[in-house]
Formats: sequence, structure tokens, C-alpha cells
Amino acid sequence: MKLSRGARDAAIAFGIIVVFGSLAMMLAGVNPIDGFTALMIGALGNVPETAETLVQTTSLLFPALGIAVAFRAGLFNIGAEGQLLIGGLLAGVIGERFIAPGIIAIPVLLLAGAVGGGFWGALAGWLRARFAANEVIATLMLNYVAIQVAAYAITGPLKSATGAGNETGELPPSAWLPTILPDTRLTIALVLALALALFLRWMLRSTVIGYQLRAVGDAPRTAQRAGIDLAKMRFWTMAFSGAIAGFGGATIVLGVLHRFNLALSPGYGFIGIAVALVGELDPLWVTVAAFVFGILQNGAIGMQAAANVPRDVVTAIEGLIILVLAGRRIITRSGAD
Amino acid sequence: MPVLALRGIVKRYGDLVAVGGVDLELESGAIVALIGENGAGKSTLANIAFGATAADEGTIERNGVVGLVHQHFQLVERLSVWENVLLGREPRKGWRLDVAAARARVRELGERYGLHVDPDAIVETLPIGLKQRVELLRELEREPAILLLDEPTAVLAPSEIASFFTMIVALAKRGIAILVVTHKLAEVIAYTSKVNVMRAGEIVARYETAQTNAAELARAMVGGEIPPLAERTALPRQVLPVIHIRGLCARTESDEIAGLDLTLAAGEILGIAGVEGNGQTALADALAGIADYEGTIRFREENLPPSLGPHARIMRGIQIIPQDRQHEALVLDWSVTENAILGRERNPELRRGWQVDRAAARAFAQTIVERFDVRPPRVDARVGGLSGGNQQKVVVGRVLAGQPSFVLAYQPTRGIDVGAAALVQSRLIEARNAGTAILLISFELDEIFALADRVVVLYRGKIAGEFGRDAFDRGRIGALMAGSS
Repeated sequence: MKLSRGARDAAIAFGIIVVFGSLAMMLAGVNPIDGFTALMIGALGNVPETAETLVQTTSLLFPALGIAVAFRAGLFNIGAEGQLLIGGLLAGVIGERFIAPGIIAIPVLLLAGAVGGGFWGALAGWLRARFAANEVIATLMLNYVAIQVAAYAITGPLKSATGAGNETGELPPSAWLPTILPDTRLTIALVLALALALFLRWMLRSTVIGYQLRAVGDAPRTAQRAGIDLAKMRFWTMAFSGAIAGFGGATIVLGVLHRFNLALSPGYGFIGIAVALVGELDPLWVTVAAFVFGILQNGAIGMQAAANVPRDVVTAIEGLIILVLAGRRIITRSGAD
Repeated sequence: MPVLALRGIVKRYGDLVAVGGVDLELESGAIVALIGENGAGKSTLANIAFGATAADEGTIERNGVVGLVHQHFQLVERLSVWENVLLGREPRKGWRLDVAAARARVRELGERYGLHVDPDAIVETLPIGLKQRVELLRELEREPAILLLDEPTAVLAPSEIASFFTMIVALAKRGIAILVVTHKLAEVIAYTSKVNVMRAGEIVARYETAQTNAAELARAMVGGEIPPLAERTALPRQVLPVIHIRGLCARTESDEIAGLDLTLAAGEILGIAGVEGNGQTALADALAGIADYEGTIRFREENLPPSLGPHARIMRGIQIIPQDRQHEALVLDWSVTENAILGRERNPELRRGWQVDRAAARAFAQTIVERFDVRPPRVDARVGGLSGGNQQKVVVGRVLAGQPSFVLAYQPTRGIDVGAAALVQSRLIEARNAGTAILLISFELDEIFALADRVVVLYRGKIAGEFGRDAFDRGRIGALMAGSS
């Protein structure tokens, strides 16, 4: 049977989870069946845990969608982590100082997140368009720059009156995202993420701009000769991709932490690469993949508590999936250039 | 006794039968041709004979080493001649390469076969003819009894072709059995002793070369009469200049033009004859708005600055049939419909607000499919799954839709079957009859002679000569292409 590339990626990811996960559990002296059972119960065993899994799903979905859009345009945006962080930073430092009713504060702060992430993505896009800098390197490096910028900002010029060293003070409650399930951290961010996924699917499949974006990704020389401006398309796609990740960073600030923290993301921007690839770069399947990875993320905690399997097993699994799927693509592509 | 005997060879790719039960024998010292259209299965058969592809059925007897010279050179450009020739079989002295022995071996081979190349030259600095010599030396180094040549003259100038076959004839005289896979009938008639014609995976005819002719071979390849080209109407007496080029200088990775003057009138086909690499790509990319240039390009009443990009040019009625249809003209993973609207996706009649108007796009693709007889006639077929000829029909159909004022056709029938080529050429003539100015860049003189009203010869980025249709002179043009005056 011949699998499409996307289906193959999904199969590889599933294989890694089962095989590598079982091996790691056995090394830890745990029966893999017990381990995976603990993981599933930890993720979906009751309403609060399921809600928390959906929180993780949401936080993964935004950067994954941004990455998927960039990848569809042939741009290997490895910088969602930094874009997410800058988006969160902007939402945090403005949000902490911005006193307004929620109906104004929330949209303004989410938009600020998108602007921040968009700016960070556009930097890499500009380097690519202006100097033909490889966006893999540029976005990867900008991740580290983002951390330093954020650390400098919140300890230096934008230091909060109330926050500790590595975070801003708390946002006024009016700027918090409304929850959709009482007593959980699950907010309307999930709804926004799902709506965004639907919008992106429509954009990529049905609109003229989506058509042009796919042309640039699938056959750049053809696209150029058909009159599509490659530099412009690449620049704005990087900006858009970053804006989506930055928006996601803002939803974490407004919905989950209620403040900006340097440890805002446990690597959502990196795991998002695996999510995007496993989801075949199709926003709909990326959403499904985000849910699977959300289960892994949240179930790991339950697994550690119930079956005594270190949660780092999940981190290692995720890292391996990124390495295999993304590494393969980047290597294949640099050979093709 | 044959040195190579293939019996009952079958090769399938999924549902496609690439080779369906072929018998073929090669005798020592004979030059045999294997001809057929693209997709007939010639290259697959050659790869099976060589051993690079495994047959599903049948037996292969090889009495000696088989060498294969590929259509696209398989050379490491950055390495020297001897490094390429001896790659994988380097002479050693203990742990070290024996460079002196390697050089001596390449020189010795060159002496023996009359194929002289400097063993230390870096391959990327060599002209095409010498690169092919390196390719040949690499195969000869293995002392083959059988040599398979896959479209060996595709990249050579007419004069280089003659000297190439002089080498091949000499190799045959030494007893090497030679199989030439080609679609160039003139070479078959001139240099081979037997011809096998392949069509749809089978050998449908075998001839002694002396007892056949090019017309008979062409009919056997196509499986019927070759469709005649469209009639060309007389040129109008008063012609409007459409493109006016003065002092054009441009450069691409592969070639450059240096001070080119051209004028092209409405309803005229101007053929650019020349060997690949003499500035064709630079000219094409300058006109397309992709390569930067100096000098002036005047289109109708307007000067086109280099900063004017492809989109603006397409909007003005400048259309390009690119040289490399798979990478410059099509998105192979897309459907015929999606490819048909490429370059027109912003046009109001093909969009509904932000969205692509799918119904209009399908209807537009349908007109191309019908007018150009694209097979299968399905607008949602994946373009990458079509044959080369049908892919090119989609490209040319897209370019000619809406009667452009100017078309640049760069190798419009490269690597496609005779039927599709005739159809593409006929549609170009019809567009010319209707008033489109066409600049035809082709490496095949036959194509230029069939289509052009006028020919200019491009040599090292400059015009080396010009001929009207009533004064076409194959010998003169061939000589100018090779640089003699």
C-alpha cells in the first residue's frame, strides 16, 4: 500500500510513540500497558483532566497552525517558539498596564500578541527576502534572541512593580479570557483556535491568496514565472505565521497564566512542528494532531504520578518525532535546492 | 553468438506495463538503434539491459560488461576528469590513492580510443562535448563488451554530433556492441545497421537500416501517419512591430547575452537557432521579467524596464512557454484546473471576491482540455500523472488562451511525443496566423525550419546571422551555430 507523505508521517509518529514509549517504560521497570493506561487516564480520566488536556491542545494548536501555513509556502519556520514568546511578552507588558473593560482589553491584547509574533516572524522573512538567509537558521536563532529580549524587557525597561524576576505582574481580571468550563483553565482560546483552523483551511483551499501561497510552496519557479512575487509572498507568510504563534502566546498570557512568564512555553513552538507535520499541514488534521499531543503533554503528569514513569519520557518521544519528521524534510529540501 | 540477449522482458509499474514482452539481441561490433516516442519504454529497457532496473519477467544473458551512458550526464562536476572516470575504482597504493597511476590510466584510455581529455581538468569547466567524452571514458574504463547510449546527442550541436558518432563507429570497429536509444531519425539512418522500433512497451517493427527510411521509421514510431501541421497564411504586407529589442545584455546562471538586437512583428514566428548555452535562457528570462538586464525592450509602444515583473508583463499580453515545463510551468501535484488558471488567478472572471471561482476555473480548464485534446480529458486529473506531451498541452493551452500579442516559446516540443508535438506546433502556427508575434527558441533545427518565418542564429550571446524563410540554409546555419563565419 502506498501512503501519502502525510499519512506516512502520522504512521511514523504513532510508531515512535508506541515503540519508543514502551521501551522507555520497560527501562523504567513499568509494564507499557500500565504506563499507557496511566497516561490515558491522566489525560482524559475525568472532566478537569480532560479540560487541562484541551488547554494543552489549544496552546499547541496556535503555533502548529502558524507553522503549517509557513510550511505550505515552503518556509521552514522553526521559530514559532520565539514568535510565541514575543507575542506573549507584548500581551503581558501591555496587559499589566492597560486598564479597560474586557471587551476592549482582550481583543487589543490578543492583537498585540499577533503583532509581536508577526514582527518576529517578519524579521526572518525579511532576512530571507533581503539577504536570501536560510529561514531555518534565521528562525532558529531568533528563538534565542527572543528569550534574551524578553528577559531584558521584563527585568529592565519594562520591569513590573509587582512581578518577580522572570515574570510580569498579574493582569487585571478584566483582561482574563473567559473560561468555558467553570473551575478549569479552559477558555474561549480553544474556540478561537478551532475557528482559526477552519479559517485557514478555507484560506488555503479556496482563496486566491491561498492558491498563490501553495504555488510558492509547491513549485516556486513555476509560481515566479506565473507572476507571483516570491519575496513578497515569503515575507508576508512569515509575518502571518509568526502572528498566529504570537496570538497563541497572548492566549496563554490572558487565559492560562494571567501574566507573562519567561517559562511561558514548555516548548509549544517546537512540539508544534511535529503537530503540524503529523497533521499533514492540513489545518483540520493539525487540530486532531494537536489533541493527540495535548493528551501526551497532560497525560505525562498523570503517568508519572500513577505509574512512576518519568514525564521526561514524553518529552523524549516528542523530541524524537520532531527530529525524525522535521529533520527528514529539512535534509531532503536542502538536497533539492 | 549475441553478446547481449534479452528474452521476453516484462516490466510493470503498478498498472502500467512499461515493457511488455520484448526480445532483443546485440551482436559484437554492430551499432543498433532503439527508437520510439517518449514513454514507449526505451529507457526502461536500456536500464533493464544495464542491470539498474530489475525485470518482472524474462531472461537476460550478458557475455561481458555492460556500460551505460545516460542522457543526463552522471558526473561529479567539482571533481577532476580522472576522479570521475575512476570513481569507485580508484587505483590504490596501500591506503592512499595512486594518483599517478590514475592519470596514466585515463591517458591510456584516451590514447586507445582517441578520446583525449586532460585528466586533471575539473569537469565543470569543460564544454558539453568534452563532458560527454568523460562520461564515455568512465564506461570504457570498465572494458565493456556492450555499450548502451541513452539519447546521447540531446545536448550536442550538429557538428559535435558528427564527431560523437565518429567515436562511436570507431568503438564498434573494436568489437563493442552498441545500442543507441534515440528519437533522432537522421542519426539512425546515418550511423546504425539495424533499427528496433518501440511503441507502448513493445518492439513493433525491426528493420535493416539500409532497407528503410526516416519517413517509414516515423510512421512506425507513431503507429500511423504523422498529423500534418496547420497551414500558414501569407504574412501581411504591413506589419506592426510588437517587440523591439536594442542592445540587450543579460546574464543567468547558465548563459548570457551581450548586446542583442531583435525586432519581431505581429503575425510572425522568429526562430532563434543555436546550441544550448549561447544565451537562450538569458534572453527568455529578460523577456519574462525574471533576469535583470541592460538595453531596451520595447513592447508595442512602451519601454519595459527591468523592474517590471512577470505579473505586469503577463497583464500586457506577454506570455512565456518556459523551457522546463515540470519546474517552471506546472505544479505537478496540482490538478489540470489549478494549473490552467496559474497566472490568471487574479483575473476578475476567474475569482469571486477573495475566492477562486471554481466553476469558472473548471470551465476555463475544460476549454483548454478540449482545444488541445488533453488525455485523459479530465480537468481534475493530477498534472504530474499526465504524459509529457499532455503536460505540455496544458502549458501551451494556458499560454495561448486569450490570444496574447506576444509568445516566447522556449523548446515548446522538448521531449514530447510526435503527435503532441505536431498539435503544439499547429496551435502555434494558428496563433501566428491570427496575429500573435512568436519568438521560437529551439535547439532542434527541424522545428525551426518547420515553423519560423525568419531565423536568427544565436552564438555566444550575439546574433551571428539572419535568414528569411525562402533562404534557409541548413549548412550555413549549422556552421554559424558552431561559431564559424
